Amino acid sequence: MGLKKLWIVIERDLRMFISYKFLLIMRGIWFVSQVALFGLIVNQMVQTAAEAVHINYFNYYVAGVTIITLYSTAMFIGYDIFEEAEHGVFEYLLTLPVSRRELVLGRSIGGGLRSFIYVGPLLVIVLLILGVSNPFHLLVALAAMFLFAFGVSGMSITLAVAMKSGDKYDILIGVLDALIVRLSTTMYPTFYMQRAMPAYAAVAEFNPLTYAADLFRWGTGVEGALQFSPLVGVLGLFIFFFAFTFVGVVFYERRLEGGNWQ
Amino acid sequence: MKAILHVIEYDFRNFFRYRWFIIGLIAMNLADLFISAVVFTQMTSIANFNYFRFFAPGLAVVGLFASAFMIGREINMEVRREIHHYMLSLPMTRTELAVGRVLAGGLRGMLYMTPLLITNFIVLRFPNLPQLLLILLTLLLLAIGISGVSISIAVSTTSFEKFVTARGVVYYMLFFCSSVFYPLEVIQVLATKGLGPLVTFAQVNPLTNGSDLIRSFLLDSPDYVFSPLMLLNVAIFSVVFALLATFAYSKILQRH
Repeated sequence: MGLKKLWIVIERDLRMFISYKFLLIMRGIWFVSQVALFGLIVNQMVQTAAEAVHINYFNYYVAGVTIITLYSTAMFIGYDIFEEAEHGVFEYLLTLPVSRRELVLGRSIGGGLRSFIYVGPLLVIVLLILGVSNPFHLLVALAAMFLFAFGVSGMSITLAVAMKSGDKYDILIGVLDALIVRLSTTMYPTFYMQRAMPAYAAVAEFNPLTYAADLFRWGTGVEGALQFSPLVGVLGLFIFFFAFTFVGVVFYERRLEGGNWQ
Repeated sequence: MKAILHVIEYDFRNFFRYRWFIIGLIAMNLADLFISAVVFTQMTSIANFNYFRFFAPGLAVVGLFASAFMIGREINMEVRREIHHYMLSLPMTRTELAVGRVLAGGLRGMLYMTPLLITNFIVLRFPNLPQLLLILLTLLLLAIGISGVSISIAVSTTSFEKFVTARGVVYYMLFFCSSVFYPLEVIQVLATKGLGPLVTFAQVNPLTNGSDLIRSFLLDSPDYVFSPLMLLNVAIFSVVFALLATFAYSKILQRH
C-alpha cells in the first residue's frame, strides 16, 4: 500500500470539506449559540442540581458540545459518498491509479482527520474557557478523541454504503443522531440519567460519545473523577474505531465492485 | 379561491413525498421529549420545576417550525432548477400562486404538529373547546408566519448552502432566544452578561408567545396566564411575514 497515494485520497477529502464553507459556517454558528445562549441559560436552570454532583454545568456542557460537533462533522463523509454515487463520480474514482483498499482507507482517515481539523480552532477556544489541569490527561483525551473521530467516520461510511437511498440515509443519520447524542453524557451526567430512567444510563454506558465526552472532561479537569477507568474509556473507543474502520473498509470495498452502489 | 386550493393540494402532495423525512423528524422530536426532557426534569426538580411538563408545549412549536419551514427548501430548489417557468404557465395569477404557497406551508406545519399537540393533551391535560380553538388559531397563525419567513429567505438566495445557513441562523436566534426550551425568567441571565437586547427579543419573539399561550391553557400554573397580547403578537408576525413572502415570491417570478 503506497502512503503517497493514500495521502492523495485524504487530501482530496480535506479539500472537499473546505469547499462546504457555508455548512461549516453554520456549524460554527450552531456551536457558538449552543455555548453562548443555550449553555449559559440552561446552566442557570440546573445550577443546584449540578452543584449536587460537584460540576459546573456550563463547563460540563461546553465539553459535551465539542464532542457533539466532532461527531457531526465526522458523519459528513457519508453524505459525500452519496453525492458521488448520484453524480457518477464513483466511476471516475475507480479509474484512478490507486488500489481499492488505498481509496477506501484514505477516505476513512480523511473523514476523521477533517473533522478534527475543523474542531481544532473551536477546541482552542474551549480549552481557553475550561483550562487545562493536567497536560498528560489532556494528551490522552485528545488521542481518544482522534480514535473517536475516525470511528465515527468509519461508521458513517458503513451506513452510507449499506443503504441505496440518500433520503433514507439522511433520515437514519437524523434518528441515530437524536438517540446517540441524547443517550450519552454529552448533555447531562449519568447520575441524573440513572434517576430519570435506568435504561437510559445503561445505554449511555456503552455509548462512544459518553467515553469521548467524559475523557475530554477528565483531560481538561472539568470532571475530577471518571465513572470508569481512563484505560477502559480509551479501550472502548479503540474497539469502536477498529470495528467501524475495518467494517467500513470491507463494506465500501465490496460495494465498489460491479457497480453495486447504483 | 379554487386556484389557491389547487396550489395547496400540490404542496400537500409534495409534503407526503417526504414521508421518511417526516418519520425521522417525529422520532427526533419524541427523543427530545422522552429522553432529554425526562433527564432535565431530574436536574431541575430540586427547584420544584417540572421540565417535562414545561417543555412539552415547546416541542409542539419546535415541530411546527421544522415542518412549516420545509416549504422554503422546496421553493429554493424550484428557483434553482427554474421550475417556476412551469408554475408561470399555470392558469392562475401570481398572487394566487404566492398566497397558496404561503398557506400551504402553514397548513403542512399544522398537519405535522397535530400528533405532537395530541401528545401534549395526553401528558398534560385536554383543553376545553374555546381554549382548543384559541390554541389552534394561534398555531395556525404562527405556522403561516414561519412559512412566510422561510419563503422570504428561499427566494432571496439562489444558493442552497446560503439558504441552509440563513435557516440555521434564524432557527438558533428564534429558538434559543425564546421560552421554547427554558422559562423567560431564566433567560434574564443574558442581561447580566451584557446581552440585554436578546432578552427583549425573547420577550417579543412569536415562538415565546405561541408556546406560553399553550402553557397558559395546559399547565394550570399561575406563571402562565393567557393574555390577548400573546395572540396579537403572533398575528402581527404572521401578517407581516405572509405579506412579505407573497410580495417577494411574486417579484421573483416576474424577475425570472
